Amino acid sequence: MRDVAVVSFAQSPCLRANRQDDMAETLLPVIQEGLSNTGIDRDRVDFFASGSHDFFEGRTFSYIESLDAVGAWPPVSESHVEMDAAWAFAEAWTWMQLGEGDISLVYGIGRGSLAADLDQVMPSQLDPYFLTPLRPHRDALAGLQAAALLDAGLVTERAMAETVQRCLADATTNTAAAKAGHYSVEELMAAPYVATPLRTHDVGPIGDAAAVIVLAAGDTARQLADRPAWVRGLDHRIETHYPGVRNLTDSVSARSAARRAAELAGFAAMDVDIAELHTEYSYQEALLATALNVKDAHINPSGGPLAGRPVTATGLVRIGEVAQRILDGRADRGLAHATNGPALQHNLVCLLEGE
Amino acid sequence: MTARLPEPVSLMPSPFHMEYTYVAGEGRSLFLRGLAARKLVARQCPSCAKTYLPPPEFCSSCLRRLGAPYELDGRGQISTFCIVSFPFPGQTYEPPYVVAHINVRGTGTRLMHLIREVPANEVQIGMEVEPVWVPDSELVPSLTSIRYYRPVTAARPATEGSEVTR
Amino acid sequence: MTSNLAVVGIGQSKQAKRREVTIGALVREAVTAAMADAELEFADIDAVVLSKTPDLFDGVMNPELYLADAMGAVGLPVTRVFTGGSVGGHAAIYGAHLVAAGLAKRVLVVAYSKESEGNFTWALSRPLPFSAQLGAGAGGHFAPVIREYIRRSDAPEHIGWKVAVNHRLNGIRNPYAHVQRPDITVEEVRSSPMLWDPIRYLESCPSSDGACAIVVTSDEDRPQTARPPAWIHGMAWRTETGHFAGRDEVNPQAGRDCAAEVYRHAGITEPARDIRVAELYIPYSWYEPIWLENTGLAAIGEGWRMVDDDRTAFGGELPVNPSGGVLCGNPTGATGLLRFAEAALQVRGQAGEHQVDGARRALGHAMGGASQFHAMWVVGAAKPGETQ
Repeated sequence: MRDVAVVSFAQSPCLRANRQDDMAETLLPVIQEGLSNTGIDRDRVDFFASGSHDFFEGRTFSYIESLDAVGAWPPVSESHVEMDAAWAFAEAWTWMQLGEGDISLVYGIGRGSLAADLDQVMPSQLDPYFLTPLRPHRDALAGLQAAALLDAGLVTERAMAETVQRCLADATTNTAAAKAGHYSVEELMAAPYVATPLRTHDVGPIGDAAAVIVLAAGDTARQLADRPAWVRGLDHRIETHYPGVRNLTDSVSARSAARRAAELAGFAAMDVDIAELHTEYSYQEALLATALNVKDAHINPSGGPLAGRPVTATGLVRIGEVAQRILDGRADRGLAHATNGPALQHNLVCLLEGE
Repeated sequence: MTARLPEPVSLMPSPFHMEYTYVAGEGRSLFLRGLAARKLVARQCPSCAKTYLPPPEFCSSCLRRLGAPYELDGRGQISTFCIVSFPFPGQTYEPPYVVAHINVRGTGTRLMHLIREVPANEVQIGMEVEPVWVPDSELVPSLTSIRYYRPVTAARPATEGSEVTR
Repeated sequence: MTSNLAVVGIGQSKQAKRREVTIGALVREAVTAAMADAELEFADIDAVVLSKTPDLFDGVMNPELYLADAMGAVGLPVTRVFTGGSVGGHAAIYGAHLVAAGLAKRVLVVAYSKESEGNFTWALSRPLPFSAQLGAGAGGHFAPVIREYIRRSDAPEHIGWKVAVNHRLNGIRNPYAHVQRPDITVEEVRSSPMLWDPIRYLESCPSSDGACAIVVTSDEDRPQTARPPAWIHGMAWRTETGHFAGRDEVNPQAGRDCAAEVYRHAGITEPARDIRVAELYIPYSWYEPIWLENTGLAAIGEGWRMVDDDRTAFGGELPVNPSGGVLCGNPTGATGLLRFAEAALQVRGQAGEHQVDGARRALGHAMGGASQFHAMWVVGAAKPGETQ
């Protein structure tokens, strides 16, 4: 594989509801910061890739507004995924392998606060004939998965509370976090359920934010960053859509994505110092750590999605948080994970390393 | 031999009801508030001098924050247009009606709006047009505060009714 | 980097209002046909790229989730691309990139729209306060551009009617085409209702349900079948900002840049000479001369003369949309991929009744948004570099 690295990461604070800025105003300062970290202008960028979703924005072609904000004149080479921007990162990394350019800019914009009630929206992510008409609560399928794990003895409500406790404490040093604080496990376990066995804090708080990553190849990366975060392996896998068909206590797609990423990287999840997991729910940490085979790594040092979940930017932020720690020397090897779909249907794994 | 399948289900209503908040943003809010006060507010990029109407907050070429807002009279030229000639559900106006791209004088962007007070077949590319605002009582922070555009009225030979030709 | 890439399987569904099948079943029709054409099993595929226009059109959010099973994608990487109407072209190119990058040996590219489910007009007209509520519709965007093309080129008005007839006559040779009008005449097009002046009803595309799928592989991992592959000689995409004064929408820069790059990759210096057949994204008849000029297949101002001289009709020197094109079927999410796939069918000699004789090299073209997204590929019967 061609050596490609993250040379810059920027994100806007995850706000529970940003009523001040439109898409462009949320995104542009982050793009400017992402570029200025490396000292380059936009015209040095050879390829742009982005991720967002119309259903969070409530209108068609919302991606074009983000594109107009970024500006595409003179014309640019560009693509977009209607998914979490972690998949745009995967596309940009693929494009970099072609050798047709040395710098890519990946951006994600996620605004989860615009839908007045996500329970009206999220059922449309399901099979339109068999599942959507049931209109399950947005956290209902996660609740089913959590209950299955509890029943199998693979997680406990106390362990879930401990995950939340650690993540929210870690988030106190993350200025982008939507939620942070020091809580006792007892305090957390006394909170009411939202979808049994999930309590409010077991669900990552939805919010609005943008994230930007600049990727560069080979010597260009070395020129743009003192310590580039090299992308050593990346893979993603999807599972059957139907939760009733799956073994909800395992994540076979996360498992196989991690295996394939490790083959590319030459090191595996068990070898990393840090792991940023796209845990939309607290119970998913234990499930993913097992499936990915993360051993001694510090999981979600940023606080992770339990401290802020800007929908389609959340997965890209995971990659950025890992890369940032490599860029500034706090970590040598890291794993970033992104997910989409009900009960972790689709999982992406990215392994990064400093030199 | 498999048994004969039943007739397929061909209709399954599954209506959505989704409500969203629209966040105008700072740049657009300036413009929308201007419309509610019968003003067309533009802004210029301090770097490339391009003038935007409606103005966002940032120049899409230079990514620079745009300069101070200022008012335009809204007159401009039709850069091109089409005549919508058929009825469809939810239509606001009775066809045929003219929808045009207007190069508003002093800007580097195009505004899309209706052209009225002129027979559709007399609309031409390059025609000078001006905005017609709704009465004060109907002004709102929306482009609907401009009811439509019409050929500029100075020194015009009026024809029957309010129709205008050039 | 793999040097040679090939399209080895192509499948499509019948384009129509398909209320008798689910979205999944519609997609599966195309996928099954593509896999059968490639003579491959799902176990041979290692990545899937899905193309689809806005999810609000038919109300399924992240359709790659629901369609994972129907696409045979369980256990594979799946990416859902969206770049306006050009998305099918983008998806094909991303699929080819995955092979070129060595990240996959065989990629399945899937595209669909099911526009009979959901409310297209509603989805396209969400009211926003910064745009006036004009009720212009899709054609309201393109009609002014056509008017400007006619003004610049001085083309006579029958050109649009003639294109509409040519494409409909081509469509009757394509069993998958939605619109089937074997006895259409110029007079009929001319007297059809005016929708968005200057666009008449019979100069417009329909709204269709439909799906398309292709399999892209490297030379090394190519299945050996009786049907030859289509070799990818060049591919490119370009995007430009949609709305600013002075933007040339009749001859957009992004389209010119995209064409220049795709010909450079393909080693083509005289496109009009080297391309034998073109599948262009023509949703309204006048876009044939517009895109002929924008893609360099005709000199500026000359595109309409090619129509007038029958050079782009079936049997002409450069047939455009022998499949019937977008005017005969427009499942928007699949339309771009259909253009790419039909170009590949031609150079494979697999286009059936709408096969163009001696189609050694073909252009597939897709565009989207306010003509701001462009994707193209050139495919050939011979491997790149070999005698064409």
